[in-house]
Amino acid sequence: MTESHSKHILSIMVDNEPGVLARIVGLFSGRGYNIESLSVSEVDSDKFLSRVTVVTSGTKNIIDQIKAQVRKLIPVHNLIDITELKSFIGKELILMKLDIKQKTVQEVHKHIENIGAKILFEDKTTTIIEFSGTPTEISGLIKKMKVYNIIELTRSGLVSMALGKDYIRR
Amino acid sequence: MMKKLSGARIVIEALIQENVKVIFGYPGGAVLPIYDELFKQNKIRHILVRHEQAAVHAAEGYARSTGKVGVVLVTSGPGATNTVTGLTDAMMDSVPVVCISGQVPTHMIGNDAFQEADIVGITRPCTKHNYLVKEISKLAESIHSAFHIAKNGRPGPVLVDIPKDIQTFETKYGGKKHTKSFAFYKPNTKPSRDTIFEFVNLLEKSKKPIFYVGGGVINSGSRASIYLKKLLKITGFPCTQTLMGLGATPTSDDQFIGMLGMHGTYEANLSMNKSDLMICIGARFDDRITGKVSGFSPKSKKVHLDIDASSFNKSVNVDLLIQGDLSKILEMTLKYIENKRISFSKEKISAWWIQINKWRAKNCLNYKNSRSIIKPQYALQRLDFLTKHLDPFITTEVGQHQMWAAQFLTFNKPKHWMTSGGLGTMGYGLPAAMGVQIAHPKDLVIDVAGEASILMNIQEMSTIKQYRLPVKIFILNNHYMGMVRQWQELLHGNRLSESYMDSLPDFVKLAESFGATGLRVSKPGEMDDLIKEMIKIKGPVICDVVVDPKENCFPMIPSGSTHDQMLLGPNDKLEGEISEEGMVLV
Ligand SMILES: Cc1ncc(C[n+]2csc(CCOP(=O)(O)OP(=O)(O)O)c2C)c(N)n1
Ligand SMILES: [Mg+2]
Repeated sequence: MTESHSKHILSIMVDNEPGVLARIVGLFSGRGYNIESLSVSEVDSDKFLSRVTVVTSGTKNIIDQIKAQVRKLIPVHNLIDITELKSFIGKELILMKLDIKQKTVQEVHKHIENIGAKILFEDKTTTIIEFSGTPTEISGLIKKMKVYNIIELTRSGLVSMALGKDYIRR
Repeated sequence: MMKKLSGARIVIEALIQENVKVIFGYPGGAVLPIYDELFKQNKIRHILVRHEQAAVHAAEGYARSTGKVGVVLVTSGPGATNTVTGLTDAMMDSVPVVCISGQVPTHMIGNDAFQEADIVGITRPCTKHNYLVKEISKLAESIHSAFHIAKNGRPGPVLVDIPKDIQTFETKYGGKKHTKSFAFYKPNTKPSRDTIFEFVNLLEKSKKPIFYVGGGVINSGSRASIYLKKLLKITGFPCTQTLMGLGATPTSDDQFIGMLGMHGTYEANLSMNKSDLMICIGARFDDRITGKVSGFSPKSKKVHLDIDASSFNKSVNVDLLIQGDLSKILEMTLKYIENKRISFSKEKISAWWIQINKWRAKNCLNYKNSRSIIKPQYALQRLDFLTKHLDPFITTEVGQHQMWAAQFLTFNKPKHWMTSGGLGTMGYGLPAAMGVQIAHPKDLVIDVAGEASILMNIQEMSTIKQYRLPVKIFILNNHYMGMVRQWQELLHGNRLSESYMDSLPDFVKLAESFGATGLRVSKPGEMDDLIKEMIKIKGPVICDVVVDPKENCFPMIPSGSTHDQMLLGPNDKLEGEISEEGMVLV
């Protein structure tokens, strides 16, 4: 009976109207589906369309049910399950504020450079860096940066896109 | 040149354009401009209910008995929150309803203004869609799309929340034709040809088939019923119907083997269990139908025909899905069978029918009748016998009486049976009967009720009086919340916690106080006279049918059990204890 759970990235095109996110989130919470990551922003300002990326997990039946339920929402134009396409990329953005009191500036800069992160702001005691990468890379970065005190961090949630000609229609 | 109209006037004009003849409502501060416009016109009739929940159930009764959209109008705050049970009921049973609610003016929204409630937020999960109209330019579009969404695809309720300032602002309205983009919602209704081919293939091969028919057939319209009847005739297959599907094809038909599910017949449930091909048409493998899912019809191939893709593989995995409007699917299926000159051999399924008839011979709906006390089943059998020729519209409340009505009444036409299936809402039947009666003023409309349920919307007697609605209320008065008592007997050591109905009103006097006729009967020998008198009386009647307080509803599949673990009567004991898993089920 124990079916395997797998992770799915759903890309959803919706009308950018009030309450649309509440409809999607409410559907997930009301039916007991989980949301591992969520990101949303308008992507077409002429047609008022937003693109929502939800990372969720479940058995095949549950994932199919989630997709069917989301597609039923009236403001949803299209949904694709990116994970089911041949190949895709998924990226996340992280901002991190570090406490660098104890370290030399040079050492910090070198470390950040090695990782491929960008410095957005610096003063005597703190540095804010920006990094984008796959969720695994982001987790790796957080681990590495533990040597500094991480004062705070924020992540955008995953955004994703299929490679090649697979694309989400409007 | 188009004239400018107020928002309130546009609401009325848009309803007229949608061919609305009746709305069920209750006024209040936030909808006064709309009520003012209602006053100034005579195309739409307003029925003043006595509680907003009843307005929605009445609209549901109207919708389900006509196939049209039922319309509700209520004020903001408490008026709107009172509709929540009704909207949820309509959502669960796929009933097309448009509910228009007033809202505090746009600049006050979010301020906890007097009678403000975030009804769009509250009803998001219990409507198919909803709108808060924040600009007058969006008003007409919102109303027309509400109707479009409510009736297309799998039907359901749509709420349109209109702030009071929007009702007074003015804009041009050129009618539905000139309203843009209200019809963007286009659910797929056309099945693919390949699936039809596969479907017929399965029909041909089966030796133990069964049609499992749900309310979707009724929602799809009368053509779906006609096609299904034909398909039944061509194939000779047995057919069972869900609580929602009763009447989709005549239940007096010989191929009909009774309702299925928790209180379904022995033959229907066993046929489901032992079949090799299950053809689910417009039903959704609800837990009342399947019992314990892991033991549900283990050997059958399953075909599922439905308009709603989210119903597929939800609780039971099926082998062939056909998505589309059921009338189209059935029509294409019949055409295919005809074109290919496929005939179905009755021989192939003759052993199956012999088996089914053996199950039938158990006579599972049998009960021990009495000469001194009215058995509820007997009361319904007599009601059926004496009213059948009139093709009555039946509504019900929720409980044992509802299940007995489903078991013992005959439904020969679709849209004549209105019961709260998915939500199981006590208090549904009386207001639903009002809605049915408004739509069919000359017909016999009966609410089969329990004495507990009827009290949940009893205030509607006042509405019935005002509009002289000749609704007949047939209370099977067992002095208990019978269904609750039955579960307590079965699952909770017969501890009848709070299920006795004390301090009931005198229903005869109650009827009289609302200008209706009250009749009471307590002897089996007087049953027929009571029913005949009830039919004869032109106005509303409450029949207080005093029945056996201890009768239980059988067959019953206890929760957590499978179709072949049915209790057939009071002497059938549960095999062992009900599992803990089963105990937590509702
Ligand atoms: C609004 C609501 N509250 C509670 C219930 C739970 N419930 C289901 S049946 C029932 C008893 C109904 O009693 P009655 O109307 O007398 O019908 P009977 O079972 O006795 O025929 C109750 C309380 C319900 N279905 N709906
Ligand atoms: Mg009762």
